[in-house]
Amino acid sequence: MNSPRVLSAAERDISDPDVVARVLAGDVEAFGILIGRYEAGLLRYATRMLGSPDAAADAVAEGLVRAYRHLRSCRDPSRLKSWLYRIVGNRCRSHLVRRSASDVPLEDAPPLLDRSDTEAEVERAEQMALVERALQSLSPEKREAFLLKHVDGMSYEEMAEATGERIPTLKMRVHRARAALLDALKESP
Amino acid sequence: MTHIDPQVHRVLDGELPAAALTAAQREQLEALQRAARTLAAVPPSSVAHRVMAEVRRTPVAPASLGTRLLQWLGERHAVTITFRPAWGLALAAALAAIAIIPSRGPGPALGEQEGIVQFVGRFPGARSVDVVGSFTDWQPGAVILRDEDHDGVWRGTIVLPVGQHEYMFVVDGERWVTDPLAGRYVDDGFGRMNALLFVRPLTP
Repeated sequence: MNSPRVLSAAERDISDPDVVARVLAGDVEAFGILIGRYEAGLLRYATRMLGSPDAAADAVAEGLVRAYRHLRSCRDPSRLKSWLYRIVGNRCRSHLVRRSASDVPLEDAPPLLDRSDTEAEVERAEQMALVERALQSLSPEKREAFLLKHVDGMSYEEMAEATGERIPTLKMRVHRARAALLDALKESP
Repeated sequence: MTHIDPQVHRVLDGELPAAALTAAQREQLEALQRAARTLAAVPPSSVAHRVMAEVRRTPVAPASLGTRLLQWLGERHAVTITFRPAWGLALAAALAAIAIIPSRGPGPALGEQEGIVQFVGRFPGARSVDVVGSFTDWQPGAVILRDEDHDGVWRGTIVLPVGQHEYMFVVDGERWVTDPLAGRYVDDGFGRMNALLFVRPLTP
């Protein structure tokens, strides 16, 4: 798998609506700017939602292709981030429904460590595995709420756009997700 | 379940400074912030190459279906509409229903692989009713139903490509309602059922 694309200064400065306008005008390559801008966050979100990097890559790739094909239906390109999260979130939900028995859940995945890893790296990997396990024990709704709020740093308004849920519902989910995550972390070995 | 003091939630929501917390509350705050920081690590991977390969093969949809429908509705047309049987049942039962109309005869300039779909739902007292679905990327606002005679029956018509589509009604901008008479459903993974509709190709 390739590394995330690094955007040039000029690409970083152009606004989402301007990039969308370029793509819709036929500049297909400009879509790469949007990928460079959002794919890391989307991959992180999908990986944490699905607990599987491979399934996450599929969900994000499918979501981005879908976003490109339906770009004209994005009514407010200044809110492109929420729109992309919504599309990828829907792909994640589909993956969760269809998840086959052949998928390797995170807790069963082999550790990605070797002898060259430093002690700090090993500790970091163990901490990540512990928190990931705790997160995966949450329901998909709570997991999504915690990730969007605390990992992607969205406001409740942005979360409402990204999920289609009401703000009071999302606040309640975030509150419950925090308590459930603390419980799960306490129970972890 | 662990009780989290409302003050901790307020700090996490950016409404209060962390200094307002007791030592025990700060412990909860720090545990959650530590977890969030751990989860914030970005996976060292990219799907850009894969996505761009697909993007270069596929043009963006030429115009939105909603735009084409609005253009068509702005003109005069004679349209023959045939409802599927569930339509009558829906009204009789005072429930939501959907009618699928084959794309034959006068109407919008349809491609061979498109059909007209009319959504009908009974929502007395509703202030607004949208349809969201796989064809709107689940975005509200693209398919807005109307109740012009104020009888609680909301209607809207769109052009959709041939194939299977998922949808739900959104009432008053916030209540997502599954069409109880769609006949077929698929789990959305979040405890709700999306209704399914099928647009069939024209037979020669």
